[in-house]
Amino acid sequence: MSLKKPSIWMAFTLVILCFFVLFVVYPLFLIMYQSVVDPVNHQLTLDYFTKFFGRKFYWSTLVNSFSVTICSTLLAALIGLPMAYLLRSYKIPASKYVNILIVISYLSPPFIGAYAWIQLLGRNGFITQLINQLPGIHFGGIYGFAGIVLVFSLQSFPLIYMYVSGALKNMDSSLNEAAESLGCGAFDRVRQIILPLVMPSLLAGSLLVFMRVFSDFGTPMLIGEGYKTFPVLIYTQFMGEVSTDDHFAASLCVIVVAITLFLFFLQRMMAKHYSYAMTALKPMQPVKAKGMEKIASYLFVYGVCFIAMLPQLTVIFTSFLETVGGAVYTGSFSLMNYENTLFAKDNSSIFNTYAFGLAAIVFVVVLGILISYLTVRKPSMLTSLLDTLTMFPYIIPGSVLGIALLSSFNSGLIVLSGTALIIIISLTIRRMPYTIRSSTAIIGQISPSVEEAAVSLGASEFTSFRKVMVPMMLPGVLAGAIMSWITLISELSSSIILYTQSTSTLTVAIYAEVIRSNFGNAAAYSTILTLTSILSLLLFFKLTKNEDISV
Amino acid sequence: MSVSIEISDVIKKYQDNTVIKGLSLSIKPGEFFTLLGPSGCGKTTLLRMIIGFNSIEGGTIAVDGNVINDIPVNKRNMGMVFQNYAIFPHLSVADNVAFGLKQRNIPKDEQKKLVEEILDVVKIGHLKDRMPTQLSGGQQQRVALARAIVIHPQVLLMDEPLSNLDAKLRVEMRNAIKSIQQKVGITTVYVTHDQEEALAVSDRIAVMNDGVIQQVGTPKHIYQRPYNRFVSHFIGLSNFFDAKLTKVNGMPAVDFGGYVEAMTNIDTTILGDEWENAPVMVAVRPEEFAVAKDGEGLEATVLSSVFLGISTHYFMRLADGKDVEVITPSDANAILPDGAKVKLRVLPQRINVFTADGSRTLIADDEDGEPA
Repeated sequence: MSLKKPSIWMAFTLVILCFFVLFVVYPLFLIMYQSVVDPVNHQLTLDYFTKFFGRKFYWSTLVNSFSVTICSTLLAALIGLPMAYLLRSYKIPASKYVNILIVISYLSPPFIGAYAWIQLLGRNGFITQLINQLPGIHFGGIYGFAGIVLVFSLQSFPLIYMYVSGALKNMDSSLNEAAESLGCGAFDRVRQIILPLVMPSLLAGSLLVFMRVFSDFGTPMLIGEGYKTFPVLIYTQFMGEVSTDDHFAASLCVIVVAITLFLFFLQRMMAKHYSYAMTALKPMQPVKAKGMEKIASYLFVYGVCFIAMLPQLTVIFTSFLETVGGAVYTGSFSLMNYENTLFAKDNSSIFNTYAFGLAAIVFVVVLGILISYLTVRKPSMLTSLLDTLTMFPYIIPGSVLGIALLSSFNSGLIVLSGTALIIIISLTIRRMPYTIRSSTAIIGQISPSVEEAAVSLGASEFTSFRKVMVPMMLPGVLAGAIMSWITLISELSSSIILYTQSTSTLTVAIYAEVIRSNFGNAAAYSTILTLTSILSLLLFFKLTKNEDISV
Repeated sequence: MSVSIEISDVIKKYQDNTVIKGLSLSIKPGEFFTLLGPSGCGKTTLLRMIIGFNSIEGGTIAVDGNVINDIPVNKRNMGMVFQNYAIFPHLSVADNVAFGLKQRNIPKDEQKKLVEEILDVVKIGHLKDRMPTQLSGGQQQRVALARAIVIHPQVLLMDEPLSNLDAKLRVEMRNAIKSIQQKVGITTVYVTHDQEEALAVSDRIAVMNDGVIQQVGTPKHIYQRPYNRFVSHFIGLSNFFDAKLTKVNGMPAVDFGGYVEAMTNIDTTILGDEWENAPVMVAVRPEEFAVAKDGEGLEATVLSSVFLGISTHYFMRLADGKDVEVITPSDANAILPDGAKVKLRVLPQRINVFTADGSRTLIADDEDGEPA
């Protein structure tokens, strides 16, 4: 239909475009500007970049980041791939719950894993103490490289698992049977049929893991100790107590965005090249494992699942332990930690988490539905620009977005720093690409003739959108919104930069308590967060009647 | 109260690609009018121009004498039944049907009454509280029909409404659609690629190909007197022969290369004065042959036969190697055995003769058929 007069869609497009220009494009440009301009004489300069690449102290963080990221991604793939294959090909008791546990371990913020592993394998960790009771052994705890890789691989393998598991689900068992009938043995089938077919999903998952791990800052901050990674450097340059340099931090942001941008296009290109359209009429049916196969597969699946859940279990367990000053355990159980957190006078961080999360979800759902509708059903130059803009946040690490927003709205015409609004906006923007992608998929499944029917019956275009499209999209969008909600309440990397005392959230509170070594309170906060996530996840399963999750 | 639709020289362009270049049609008030043609012939494009989902790049469409080119879809007051029904999945049957009434701000109790009335007309009154997922294809079809006609549209448009149903249901529904249309008396434009369906439901049919109307007429006329080779080929089964015109007793006759059949209905003016010995194309439907043991006619050998109850279907080979299909009414006579030699005569009153390129008929119009 032609746009002869300025339509309501045009108005929506322009308003949303303005929102993204103001809160995404402008802050990013400001960061780019700051990274190449001297604050004193306003001259163009590459000093910040030469400073970074000139000193080992700085550039080694980039090397460190790449080392941990590559190692963690490989390990995650090595765990996630067999996990998915075993659960799809063997009947393993309670596999449904294993699946849910894996998703839970994925949804909890990585830095909680880091701090839980410190409780277990840190200097005074439970396991460390056990080990050190053995004669002649002194174990100093896992910090640095090993600790970061441990946390990241355990936290990331679920993503690979979900991608590969999804691909295996779409693989028709006849492919396997055809190979078998042609004389291909069991091992060769995995190597020659299954592996190549899941490779695109494996690569897509791996790159996503790579991007997430590369830009995560909470984990290396807590467990890294002397081992500094790039995001830690950014954080300390921008927020640190000594010698912060906004312009230098800006140049670091530019470097990290360049890297994620490169990875994003790499993934796009690979997805284009290596993708197979598969729909399974008859998906693989899990079979009963026998003998050694059975023992090995059970051990692997349950073992990985247990280790992945260990941080959650530790956190929940320690939250009920009595402590002295939060740091030293007395050995008896109590609800003291909850008295100090949940029932404390100042428990605003709990309230904030829910309030900000809900507000952001409302924004995300409303904007997500509108944007995806505009780009799919009202294609034009403007809406395709909108489509591109809204994908930006996908490649911008949370800390960069936080720094960009804070630099832009700290002073000047619009001052938002320290407000709840700036946190809600950053949460909205961060989650937007995911919601838009899922909404777009939902719209794709609705035949345009449904809307045409409404219009032919006398409804205006906007009425048909409101009365027909929105109600039809809502169940799918809401299911996605629950997943968004879970990721939003566990968000740390931009909130940690944007928060002030009054706008602290659970994740920020946990982080602060850990830094203060008040593990009791941290455990209680973490337990509240974890339980909220689990309950939300159960709600999701109930609503969608679906065990498969795409995040 | 029924309205006419006048389509004058309409043009449809997609970017530089003109898919309909100047098409005209007039649809009479209360008529069940079908656009029939192979997929991609532009029939759905034309339908969507009538309702307004497609823009009109040239020409006009007038309903009841009023040009509607610039009226938005939701103000055109036309009902449409979609190929996939487009039932709103989140609304009950009654709410689906009431949707259009709500847009017209009709009072609630009036709405309820109208919905119940129409659901009785389409015979699904008992399903009014069901959700669409609980309905069969045929039932969804009835909801779609009820929803389109409850708003008392000036025009009812249907886009391949039966193509998603199974064969048995298709026959049942097309009879239902026809009888409901007659009851409501609404001008209806129906799009289909299924000739049998078109013949069964339509008052008149327009056969389309490549965005051009090939012929407009009643089902009987289109079947018996196709205007050109395309129509003859697309509707029903035809055996085509290259023949030439000859003169018998001063009257035109068709010469099949030895076998000559005198004709009474050839309009030679189309070919001009030099019509004698002019090459022509002859279309003979399988039932337009008379089979005889001997006598005059085309020499043929029976290849195989299929007994179909009311008729017998033969596959035969002519002396020149051409294969033809022949249908004879099953009578007391024995079925011709494979390999039997027979003579085939054509029935001169029924066969169709076209110009050599098949572009138009040479048969003088005996009915009120309209040329394209």
